[in-house]
Amino acid sequence: MLATLLEAFRLVLAPDVLLAILLASIYGLVVGSLPGLSATMATALLVPVTFYLSPIAAVATIIAASAMAIFSGDIPGCLLRIPGTPASAAYTDEAYAMTRKGEPELALGICVWFSAIGGIIGTLSLIALAPPLAEMALNFSTFEYFWLAFLGLMCATMVARANPVKAIASMLLGLLVSCIGIENPAGTPRFTFGSTDLLGGIEVIPALVGVFALAEVMRNMTEPEPPKMPRRKFGSILKGMWKLTREYPWPQVRGNIVGIIIGVLPGAGADMAAWVSYSMSKRFSRTPEKFGTGHPEGLIEAGASNNASLASGWVPSLLFGIPGDTITAIAIGVLYMKGLNPGPSLFTDRASSMYALYIIFIIANIIMIPLGIVMIRMASKLLSAPRASIMPVIVLLCGVGSFATGNNLFLIVTVAAFGVIGFVMERNGYPVAAMVLGIVMGTMVEQNFITSLIKSDGSIWPFFSRPVAAILAFFTIAALLWPVAYWLWGTMRRTKVVAQRG
Amino acid sequence: MFISDKITGTALVALGAAATYGGSLLPPVPGQQVGPNVFPMVVGVGLMLCGAMIAFGIGSVLEQEAEADLAAHSDKVEPATKPSPLVNAAKTLLPPALLLAYVFVGDRLGFVPTAFAIVLAISLAMGARLKLALPLALIAPVLVHLIFLKLLRVPLPPGLLPMPW
Repeated sequence: MLATLLEAFRLVLAPDVLLAILLASIYGLVVGSLPGLSATMATALLVPVTFYLSPIAAVATIIAASAMAIFSGDIPGCLLRIPGTPASAAYTDEAYAMTRKGEPELALGICVWFSAIGGIIGTLSLIALAPPLAEMALNFSTFEYFWLAFLGLMCATMVARANPVKAIASMLLGLLVSCIGIENPAGTPRFTFGSTDLLGGIEVIPALVGVFALAEVMRNMTEPEPPKMPRRKFGSILKGMWKLTREYPWPQVRGNIVGIIIGVLPGAGADMAAWVSYSMSKRFSRTPEKFGTGHPEGLIEAGASNNASLASGWVPSLLFGIPGDTITAIAIGVLYMKGLNPGPSLFTDRASSMYALYIIFIIANIIMIPLGIVMIRMASKLLSAPRASIMPVIVLLCGVGSFATGNNLFLIVTVAAFGVIGFVMERNGYPVAAMVLGIVMGTMVEQNFITSLIKSDGSIWPFFSRPVAAILAFFTIAALLWPVAYWLWGTMRRTKVVAQRG
Repeated sequence: MFISDKITGTALVALGAAATYGGSLLPPVPGQQVGPNVFPMVVGVGLMLCGAMIAFGIGSVLEQEAEADLAAHSDKVEPATKPSPLVNAAKTLLPPALLLAYVFVGDRLGFVPTAFAIVLAISLAMGARLKLALPLALIAPVLVHLIFLKLLRVPLPPGLLPMPW
């Protein structure tokens, strides 16, 4: 144990890893603070860079960049009322109300301080939860893996603040995309239409870059430039944080726990954590009427929650290879590439690497405070960079970065195609994250589904007769049916209102 | 590019039907009951169901609620003047079109000249003045080339304008 821990420290304290953490942090802070450029996109564009790093440095860049981007998405939210990343959208209003009251330092201080604490507590949950779950996961067979992956897909559809039917349709579209190619139980070319490029299937990273980055640039092409940020001098950012920490213990505990739970759920990520925590904070607050007027309570709870979910999102990713959110969907690809194949044995065979991962998480969340403060002070300068100078470079990086993942021009075609698909879907209320998770998990769902069916000779009984499988099946089916129940309930409520009015 | 739910729903039904049909044509594995045909058919049937529900407007109330919620929480910048939809569509499709153009001419022209054109076109389309767009288009491709070719060893095409490194 001690030897493993020492080995882990040796891995992390290597100069290349430390440099990777620092550079990735700065990169994440900058990209996250630019409105429209999400944490997922920041991570996706990092993938080609990770090819040339050592395994630990590669994972470190992803952890550091995503954690910083989720925090720095709060900055334009506070100062401009435009969330930098979707995960900040839930409390943008609240933070901006504080800025209008003349307390931008307080709002930004809460964002950086409680983000960092949330991140550290999320990491502790990862440390505590992963090993016992790994023990359990060793007994899983294809039946459990099938339900787990399916449950992940269903959670991915619940994330979206959108029409659940459309979310399920997006997820199914992703599954259909994952059918393309010869990577299926019989090695038969499927939906390749005679194209050799499609034989290998649709690569995840270019598809992801397409829907998250290129589609965002396309949206920006016609949208007007966001307003310039007024230059202002900030006072002390961390002043009063300690007092707030003591004043609001419960919102923090609740925010962290909700964040951890939502993070652990496969498929559900930081945006959902922030929305749920914010509304929960309002419901349980003693002063709910103050919400929306620049009250710190909701900001503390939701700001902690989205960063906590980020770390615990790694639990299903590391254990089962089932992404906790879109960011870990990318991370899983990188883990495979670096020989750190996700699975319960990762915690026994490569224990030092896992400890190293925890240490990186903690380091990233600690340096978030000083780097975040520097970023806040520089934000008004950085955010005044015209979009016309950023977007073209992003397009270039989308193309070259995707090309670099396989040195194949077809990958650029994939980016362009998925850019258009993502743009059209988003405009019409189809959540793209659900589709991406469908693409990522399609092969895994199918493999476990078909293998299980072959094992059981076509009978579906074993899918329900094993105890853990039965529990997972129950949750999955509940997740599948909730939109129907919710819709029925909503219709009933509305007819009642109409009847009362009539 | 707003399309009514009726149309997208119907399109999904059609796609689902095509997937189911395409899946049913796939050869089974000899001696096995289930093969590569099962999964596409399951997904296809699911898509047909979802498409039908979307076309009939089930769940769209939730969508409106979510949108209202988001609008209440953050600002959206409204354009001062509304350009024609045709110009908008052309601008929107510019980035993917330029990437496709890179696929076709990148090898012949080389990375730096093609990237120059891409950056210049997008920058100008976004309303940048030449004073900003031109230096950006000259510097950014060279920097990207340097990083990806030299540090990340990605074989970018030299084409007409090979770089000195």
